[in-house]
Amino acid sequence: MLSRPAATSQALTERSALMPTLFLLLALVVSLFAALLLGPMSLSVTDVSGSLLRLVTAQPLEGASDWVVRELRLPRALMAGLIGAGLAVAGCITQGVFRNPLADPGLIGVSGGAALAAVSVIVLSSSLLSGWTGLTGPFALPLAAFAGALTVTWLIYRLGTRNGQTQVALMLLAGVAINVVVGAATGLLTYLADDQQLRDLTFWSMGSLAHGGWSQILALCIFLLLPLLLMLRYSRLLNALMMGEAVAGHLGFDVQRQRRWLLAGAALMAGSAVAVAGVIGFIGLVIPHLLRLVSGPDHRLLLPQSALAGASLLLLADTACRLIIAPAELPVGLMMALIGGPVFILLLVRQSRRWL
Amino acid sequence: MSLDVRDLTVRVGDKALLERVSLSVKDGERIAVLGPNGAGKSTLLSCLSGQRRTYSGEVSLSGRALTQLSDADRAQRMAVMLQSVQVSFPVRVWQVVAMGRYPWGDEERTRQWQQEAMTETDVWHLHDRDYTSLSGGEQQRVQLARVLVQLWQQRQEGGAGSVLLLDECTASLDPAHQHAIMASTRCFAASGVAVLAVMHDTALAASWADRVVMLKNGSVVGDGEASLLADADMLQQTFDLTADVAAKYACQNGVWLPQSPL
Repeated sequence: MLSRPAATSQALTERSALMPTLFLLLALVVSLFAALLLGPMSLSVTDVSGSLLRLVTAQPLEGASDWVVRELRLPRALMAGLIGAGLAVAGCITQGVFRNPLADPGLIGVSGGAALAAVSVIVLSSSLLSGWTGLTGPFALPLAAFAGALTVTWLIYRLGTRNGQTQVALMLLAGVAINVVVGAATGLLTYLADDQQLRDLTFWSMGSLAHGGWSQILALCIFLLLPLLLMLRYSRLLNALMMGEAVAGHLGFDVQRQRRWLLAGAALMAGSAVAVAGVIGFIGLVIPHLLRLVSGPDHRLLLPQSALAGASLLLLADTACRLIIAPAELPVGLMMALIGGPVFILLLVRQSRRWL
Repeated sequence: MSLDVRDLTVRVGDKALLERVSLSVKDGERIAVLGPNGAGKSTLLSCLSGQRRTYSGEVSLSGRALTQLSDADRAQRMAVMLQSVQVSFPVRVWQVVAMGRYPWGDEERTRQWQQEAMTETDVWHLHDRDYTSLSGGEQQRVQLARVLVQLWQQRQEGGAGSVLLLDECTASLDPAHQHAIMASTRCFAASGVAVLAVMHDTALAASWADRVVMLKNGSVVGDGEASLLADADMLQQTFDLTADVAAKYACQNGVWLPQSPL
């Protein structure tokens, strides 16, 4: 029997999982530092490290460069990191549950649903939805976005899944239809919006990290980071679901109940990302796809690695957006669409060879 | 008594898929379930495996109703092999087999068992291949290794109270692998695990089973020793065969019976 050499190759496969994770961790640190360092106002490495040191030791702000790093760039970088991580993990989860690499929250309309709900709150908070904003206070926006995301997730699940089998074409077309409706409804709301609201809406539909501070970061920690960490528990179920709902059940998972938690978690993450930064697409599509090529489909690696890689990607993309036409800036959602669109087409071609 | 089924009835709309099916499986018994297409074999299996929960009657595992067992408890005592399993992402063969240990949470510590199971179903040489690139028969053998490793310690420590359910697990295998696989399920039965297999190949069933259960239109029409398969009338009635075809099958199955003088 050839057991000995083969067994070591298996052990190697597992050990080599450490390298990509360490690399991604390093990439995250580098992109975080780059986000703090680069911008319209040029700073030196010593400025940034000095600011960080003063932040860690809880010293008060000191000078313009310190203020730029700690009050402008750091909150924005943290937001980018959190949102990137959340969107990538939400993508992993929806793909795992719908058993398809194309099931990105943006493409199947989950982000769109969240955006519509949030836009409605912005425009109608003083009229039609005043009861809602009165009831929920400062969380009106994230909660509305979550409700919108959850509604669409449920709808897609109902429409696209028959007997535990996801109909890929149906799911994607339902997503297209939902995105169209969301676009039209958002368009309709622009007629009702006043000047300031209109500016907000434009930012939202393109996706931008320009608005936000420490209160948004706090909200993201509760509504995005917390569910993300909780979702890591379900990585074995997501692995088992690769073989279908029935097999996962035979392996001892309460599939019906746990799948509901997974989808709610993904909707919460996608919804809160939308509530803070508008629609930023394709991270949930691109990141898990690339990582599956590198580390394989084991969700115990895929989920944490997606979080790291998603955070780095959005940090880098946002930094680039701030630099390209400085001192003005591009909405980062546009940048992601430019990166993600081609990847989506590539995936579509590969899928059609396999299934259509 | 390992698995006990009493008056199991499944209705979808006003059509009865199963009608008052009763059957009991003893520890270590090998039972083949046979019947024509649409007889309710797969429905029976989905009730036994806990997948279908809407039925009347009772299914119990070692005296406890299946619906009262938690999914995790059940999975430690029951492994199920389906006809074919499509995976949604390219996954390595050893990763598929490792998932067989999820009910125990010890997939990292039981690599040795996983290797033994893969060797037994003759897929160890494929262990680092992409599952989606394998042929249908190879995929089936990989899935079988995953299913077997789920009950691997039962085979070593005695498997009374455990059940292995197989749904046409040899359908896309060549004859050599068919017999090798059925022989390895014999080892499980010898240790006390009850093995219930839905089968199409009457000859293979005759060579393997202690007992055969014949289903037709959702009801049990025959339940007895494997020699039932050498009974031309029985085959004719169950599968709606013509008399001479049934006689040929009965004769062929008779040759396969273990106690056959040939």
